[in-house]
Amino acid sequence: MDFKERILTTLNHEEPDRVPVAGFILSQVTSNRILGKQTADFADMLETADLRRGLMDIMNSSWLDMINSALADWFEAAITLGYDANWTIYSQMEVVEEPKFKQGLAMHDIWVRAFELRVDKDGNTAANYVHGLCTTENDWYSWVERNRPLYDELINNVREHHRLMAEKFGDRILAIGSPGSGVFDNTWQPMGFENFCRFVYQKPEFMRKVIEFHTDLLLRHLNAIMDSGVELVVGGDDLGQKTGPLMSPEQMEKLFGESYRRVSEAVHSRKKKLLWHTDGNVYALLDKFVEWGFDGVVSLEPTAGMALGEVREQVGHKLVLVGNLDIAYLLVRGTKEEMEDAVRKAIKDAAKGGGFILSPCNSHSAIDPMRLEWMVEAAHKYGMYPIAI
Amino acid sequence: MDSTIDAANSVAATDDPQAAKDAIDAFTDALQTVGKWFQDGEWFLAELVYAGEISKETMKILTPLIEGGTLESIGTIVVGTVAGDLHDLGKNIFISYAKSAGFNVIDLGIDVSTDRFIEAVRVHKPQTLGMSCLLTSTDMEIGKVIEELKRQQLRDQVKVIIGGAALTQQFADGVGADAFAPDAVTGTDIVRKWSSS
Repeated sequence: MDFKERILTTLNHEEPDRVPVAGFILSQVTSNRILGKQTADFADMLETADLRRGLMDIMNSSWLDMINSALADWFEAAITLGYDANWTIYSQMEVVEEPKFKQGLAMHDIWVRAFELRVDKDGNTAANYVHGLCTTENDWYSWVERNRPLYDELINNVREHHRLMAEKFGDRILAIGSPGSGVFDNTWQPMGFENFCRFVYQKPEFMRKVIEFHTDLLLRHLNAIMDSGVELVVGGDDLGQKTGPLMSPEQMEKLFGESYRRVSEAVHSRKKKLLWHTDGNVYALLDKFVEWGFDGVVSLEPTAGMALGEVREQVGHKLVLVGNLDIAYLLVRGTKEEMEDAVRKAIKDAAKGGGFILSPCNSHSAIDPMRLEWMVEAAHKYGMYPIAI
Repeated sequence: MDSTIDAANSVAATDDPQAAKDAIDAFTDALQTVGKWFQDGEWFLAELVYAGEISKETMKILTPLIEGGTLESIGTIVVGTVAGDLHDLGKNIFISYAKSAGFNVIDLGIDVSTDRFIEAVRVHKPQTLGMSCLLTSTDMEIGKVIEELKRQQLRDQVKVIIGGAALTQQFADGVGADAFAPDAVTGTDIVRKWSSS
């Protein structure tokens, strides 16, 4: 079987030749280490106002090219590691000066979130969500109006980006198309979680409009991704924290149920599969994922208590399970023996009958490429069907 | 929230410090009940946060009415998000619940350097130092602060509690923290136990 048959067989809850491995390498440092490339060190440039402004101008004027180039490296790295699939992702952002942040630069995305742009000592560039840019209902409407011309640009760039990735890598690895964050994150993050919670109770009609707006935009985004021919898309909302969901299943249904159903129907109407990424402890939402029409769940974060055996017992083969390898310790500092044990256990707990893709549960720059190699080696060693562990 | 604010304003209109104190006590009990429902899985983070928001608004109205304008403290906690990390949601929820439990909380904010944590421990002499960390890339900052506390012979003067998405009990054991809190309510329970022991 090739990578594509392996993944598609798994998605149908049938046993392929071996357990597929997927990932989402989202770090230039990680991909450079895998590919043996130097990482450009431009942290010093950020110390000088003129150079900082110059860097900002370059990033803003060549954003699409920059993303395409980074993703090309991430795909090459995933292929080098032996992955069967890797995420592709495009987000529309603008780099702006922000004196409050340590290195003076922020990134604002078109969903009205502020990210701190930081270059660390290893040369890794990271953009971490810090806060939203609108705290009132009026703010939100103003931002949407201001950004309106950018939404068409987003859709065009998404289509172009995914087309390029499919064209360049489609014969060597399966691209999992991702719009990044989903309707839940896109709703609360621009206003901050505290304001969001207030609005849910105090301004339900406003919330309904925000959610509808983001659902419509996400559907355009997903359709642009699917236009490139990808077989599989992954939506994403972080719906859980360490001990449980952020909102009750009932409240999620009331606020977001219709939105999620629309997303699933749109993907299925094009004969594609829809996985859903969420960090955190989401046992209480798994049945909802099935109801909403998701085909699988991605992440299954072990440090939030997600255990593959328990998840499989709860949902059976109604969901494809993707992930579960720990990124807090195992993929950063774990030993080879610990890696083998974790991979063996994951395969034992979830792979029988297909429907399981082994993957790190998330991605960050401190993940060690050597440990990713160990993960793939162990998957090949223990993941041959029929599973005999 | 509106009905609670109305009730707080009604109490404030009496200009009676004892009535304000009674209202605060009742509110604190209510918040503890919310915390218990959260821990039992009956309520979720959104409800916990909204209750914390109501608490903040209510305390703003009632606290100035009681004698001296401050509540009697059962201990001091210094809390902050570690260097390199700008996330504060979990820290802020913890602060709301710790304050309502009667603690004096010194919030150092986000992106707090080791030096600022150490300086705050020296100046405020807290019983507890709380550190929050969402990013795996910044978790080692916690170990640096604990090592510096030891180096400056301050470690035995303060209990250290840590929490955040990047952290685990295993990590807490590894860096020598006294406790790991998987959520803000559990964190508040832990520091409350420390203060009464």
